[in-house]
Amino acid sequence: MSAFYASNLVLVQATLVAILLALSIQVPLRLGVFSLAGVGSYGIGAYVSANLVLREEMGAVPTMLVSGLVAAAVGLVLGVVIYRLAGLYLAMATIAFDLTVGVVALNGGEWTGGPVGLFGVFADLTMGLLFGTVVLVLVLVHLTEVGRLARRITTVREDPELAASMGVNVRAYRLTAFVVSGFLGGLAGCLNTLTRSAVGLQDVSFHLVVVALTTIIVGGALSWRGAVIGAVLFTWLPSVLEVVGEWQEFVYGLIVVLAAIFLPTGLYGLWCSARRRVVERFRPPVRPRRPDEPDVPAATVAPEHEVAAR
Amino acid sequence: MQELVAIASLGSVYLLFALGLSTAWGTIGILNFAHGAIFVSAAYGCYELLEVRQLPVLVLAVVAVLIGAAMSLLMQVLVFDQVRRRASSERAAETRILIGGIGVAMLPIALASHQTKNLAFGLSASGFEASVWTIGGVRVSSVQVATVVCAVGAAAALAWYLRRTRAGLALRSLGVDDQVAALMGIDRRRYAWATMAVAGGLAGLAGVLLTLNLGAISAESGDALLIKAFACVVLGGVGSTLGVVVGCFTLAASEVWVLTQTSGMWVEAVSFGIIFAVLLLRPQGIFGRQEVRRV
Repeated sequence: MSAFYASNLVLVQATLVAILLALSIQVPLRLGVFSLAGVGSYGIGAYVSANLVLREEMGAVPTMLVSGLVAAAVGLVLGVVIYRLAGLYLAMATIAFDLTVGVVALNGGEWTGGPVGLFGVFADLTMGLLFGTVVLVLVLVHLTEVGRLARRITTVREDPELAASMGVNVRAYRLTAFVVSGFLGGLAGCLNTLTRSAVGLQDVSFHLVVVALTTIIVGGALSWRGAVIGAVLFTWLPSVLEVVGEWQEFVYGLIVVLAAIFLPTGLYGLWCSARRRVVERFRPPVRPRRPDEPDVPAATVAPEHEVAAR
Repeated sequence: MQELVAIASLGSVYLLFALGLSTAWGTIGILNFAHGAIFVSAAYGCYELLEVRQLPVLVLAVVAVLIGAAMSLLMQVLVFDQVRRRASSERAAETRILIGGIGVAMLPIALASHQTKNLAFGLSASGFEASVWTIGGVRVSSVQVATVVCAVGAAAALAWYLRRTRAGLALRSLGVDDQVAALMGIDRRRYAWATMAVAGGLAGLAGVLLTLNLGAISAESGDALLIKAFACVVLGGVGSTLGVVVGCFTLAASEVWVLTQTSGMWVEAVSFGIIFAVLLLRPQGIFGRQEVRRV
């Protein structure tokens, strides 16, 4: 086990970062905000953390916090500007934001290292800290998926007008989505820089939008479990399927298409509905019984039989 | 003056590409994210064809149109139709059509980058040499003239079709309300197929013309073009043909201006800036109509 862990450390780290990146797209999606700005925040987090470590020699924890907060602040500004947009317009505006971050990174001079990127970003990030951060984030996200808050979030997503009429401040929820997405994306970018000790233009590319979307579409868009399933699947698939190798992009594309058509709720949704079907099957059947049968609970008896029993 | 030629030819490539995107989005409600992939694939298909056999440029252009139309139609039948049939609501369908488009775009691009090993490819094997004329100190190539003629012609034909014919009216009515349109006996599926085929054909033509113009393109150039076309469409207003024309030439002019005024690689950011500015100041675009939506 530990040998396996040691030899696949890079993949484990990549999985944890991928979970956070996927969540930064998933959280707004759950609130009905089709924003892909998490990828831009990822780029911001990646470059900000590199600068903090290289110039200020900050430790891992403050770097994570500051990167996350900077990205969240940018997310808030972006949110204030575009939260009124909906659907495709919002998606495209946020993709434009992501690509703008890329152009800034390309032209950022010594702050971003231009096309070369920044190297030698070493901070005291331990695996324990990395695990702890991701688990903490997952717990916090889980708390938004149970109870009253979950119901409010569902209403804001499915029917914003209804939510508003029930006294839910839809605007605040939507803005929060941008901020949370920014923070998670920034954190993911920061952790990516710290684990790989380098940052470059590949950390702000359109490809990441595809990766993050793929992760949650295949895993499941409505629960953090979906993000985890997708992140594990897509980080480990290439190493498991050696055959895929150079056709990786092709296979990914095929998976995305199939998921978009046949799996509207992702693998996690598939698992949920399968479980529900099994539970239904083994539940004692509710059927009208003959009046002379013993131990008939009154509620399960159809009215006409009830009359006949009397 | 040389800049004007550059603006005209660049804007025309954008126009050929964006016309189909805008029409499909404005009428049948499909924003095809694989439009850039069609553009690249048509050029790549011609490149592969030239490896096998020598063909004149005019035939190549026809082949590109056919490849583009076939791919676009296939996507519509195999992906977008399926998504729409299975989706619970219009909004869910919109999101998943976007995602399906991203996925389906990866297929031909992966194929092309694999075959070309991520190198740029061109159509020089056709032996075609663009003739260059110098008029009053301004250099104009025959490819540039062809691009402008094709783009303006296509835009004019499309505008005429949408505004003046019965079928065009039917198509526009789908964009306003496809349920009511269905009640009026309009077969959405048939119109969707035709629209996507035309859109794909135009993208294919744009692919070959740009490749001839630049000499070579890479498999990844479709994504950047897609965002630019989106900027043009948003700027002009979704569903307005005149709007797309104005949007495309405005973007081309801004890009050429930025390219000549600044150093560095800021030119890519122009289209993003336009998207933001338009969505903020005038979300319906210059010529767009305000959407009426009842709660």
